[in-house]
Amino acid sequence: MRVVLSNSAGVPLYQQIKEQLGTAILTGELAEGSALPSVRALARDLRISIITTTRAYAELAAEGFIATVPGKGAYVLPLDSALVREQLLRQIEDGLQAALTAARQAGIRRDELIGILDGLIQAEQHDAVR
Amino acid sequence: MSSDLAFALRGVGTAVAGNFRLRDVTFELPTGYVMGLIGANGAGKTTTIRCLLGMRRIDAGEIELLGHRVPGPVELRQDVGVVLDHTCLVGDWRLTEVERTLRPFYDRWDAAGYRRLLGEFGLDPRARVKDLSRGMAMKLMIAVALSHQARLLVFDEPSSGLDPVTRDELVGIIGDFLVDEGHSVLFSTHITSDLDRIGDYVTLLHEGRIVRTGTKDEILDAYRIVRAGPDDLRGLVGVQLIGARRTPAGSQALVRTEEAALLGGDVLVEAPTLEEIAVHVGARAPRREPDPGVEGDPARHASSLSTGGAS
Amino acid sequence: MIAVARMAMLDLRTVAPHRYQGLAVFGVCLLFLTHNPVVFVPALVLLLTSQVAAHPFLIADKAGLETLYAMLPLRRRTVIYGHYAWAVASFVATAAVGTALTLLLARIQSAPLGGRTLLTVLTLSWAVFVVNVAIQFPLFVRFGYSRISLLSTFLPLALVMMALARLHLTIVTFAELQTWLPLLWVAGAAALVASVAVAVTADHRRVRNGAAAPGRER
Repeated sequence: MRVVLSNSAGVPLYQQIKEQLGTAILTGELAEGSALPSVRALARDLRISIITTTRAYAELAAEGFIATVPGKGAYVLPLDSALVREQLLRQIEDGLQAALTAARQAGIRRDELIGILDGLIQAEQHDAVR
Repeated sequence: MSSDLAFALRGVGTAVAGNFRLRDVTFELPTGYVMGLIGANGAGKTTTIRCLLGMRRIDAGEIELLGHRVPGPVELRQDVGVVLDHTCLVGDWRLTEVERTLRPFYDRWDAAGYRRLLGEFGLDPRARVKDLSRGMAMKLMIAVALSHQARLLVFDEPSSGLDPVTRDELVGIIGDFLVDEGHSVLFSTHITSDLDRIGDYVTLLHEGRIVRTGTKDEILDAYRIVRAGPDDLRGLVGVQLIGARRTPAGSQALVRTEEAALLGGDVLVEAPTLEEIAVHVGARAPRREPDPGVEGDPARHASSLSTGGAS
Repeated sequence: MIAVARMAMLDLRTVAPHRYQGLAVFGVCLLFLTHNPVVFVPALVLLLTSQVAAHPFLIADKAGLETLYAMLPLRRRTVIYGHYAWAVASFVATAAVGTALTLLLARIQSAPLGGRTLLTVLTLSWAVFVVNVAIQFPLFVRFGYSRISLLSTFLPLALVMMALARLHLTIVTFAELQTWLPLLWVAGAAALVASVAVAVTADHRRVRNGAAAPGRER
């Protein structure tokens, strides 16, 4: 597990922890069932406040990424839980919405937009094959 | 008396020398967290801590410490570790003698733990107390507090006079201590950077009164820093400028977040750091002598000049 | 009781780093008084005990031990009892060693030394000790060692001198002094108990005024 916090990112610390752990879980870097340090151990290791760490864990738990065991620590939940899927869908929507907004500003129409998306998918498949 | 509080002060008042006194000091810390007590020199931090530890009689209010009313049974002190800004040990004692002297007083003294901590902190057991540097003396007091297995650590100005490396070590030690959720830490400081990251709760003290207390985020959200031209922060109604600072080039003040909306559009409103809050809240109130140009401007007199201790 | 003993031990450890000074004083007494063993005990007690008994106050003042006492699981009262216990213990120790040495010197010099004389000398030592401690300790407790040390050293000394002058005028014979011995022991003990009570009250006042622990306020 790795968490790298920036003091000048303009993103709250709890958000940074949440995003980094969330990403690690989604990419499979943190496998189902793997143990996470307790809130207090993580706060100590990162030298941040307990309230901040508690908040990050609480939000990860609320989104179905992890389950916390009071007094012990936390562990990664199975990825296929409905909550995670919903979370991912929301992320997709957010991303596409951002793309749409940009497209509107640039005057790019539907066909062109879909073309870009197809291109990206193909490039990713190409990368995966190679 | 609830056991989930490390301590609580409720309406505490005490008269100190001169006309300085603590007035209606009320704040509490839940078990398991760190609180920073911030205030300028002379704000009343040490007096507050001494009241909490039962070293000073209070005239008003009540204090609860680890579930007991203060002054409680002396056995309560088994659970409290105190680290002051000066050592209170005989200078000629070697660190081994410090242990031999203090150990009989504590029920749960951990001799092996003491030796291990001295090693971890780089303290020579054969060294004498008087030969320790400030940072080493502080670490010795921490080693003592941890060896008698205190549940609450109280630091008075631990980081003043410490080099950055030792201050960082202190942050690490506090983190280690708090891994046990039954442990809590209170520390008074005028150096806010130590609190920026590890502080859970913050209490602002100014001239013997509590200005604000709450989680660090609550405190940070409660204020905004305002920067503007030299005359932009004059004649404001309904906005209290805290610790306003004016120069020919510009002016700066702290305001309460809910009042920030009342400021005009041509001022810069930003989220403050703890340091900025401490600086503005701790700024001395200017002497209220009539200066030319004020007479015709009652609004300014009423609001802009009222600086310092917001209540 | 155990707590008082612990506190007395703390006083012992407080003065322990200065033990060589004490031994030096002891040695000097030994050198100067070899020709007159009988005065050895009161002389030692006067010189050593009043200093040794009060020494924890001096160091406490210097090192801020009042703060330590306030941090340790100790009642304020126990701190004071402990100081007195330490003082009595140091008297007993000095008197015991002094008596042993006096007897030894008397034997070496084959000078006659009656039990009566020894008892008288010990009683006078006790009186000297009590006058010192009973007057000094409440003053130390109330005002702190450094603020009151001049007066508190002078006062008992002046009293002892006055008593000696008075003794010289009124009770001349050794036999007459003998009748006073039991009274001196009892009066001394009573004075100590009274002194403890005064010290506890003085301490109470001091804590209320917030002066229990020296150092910067606020």
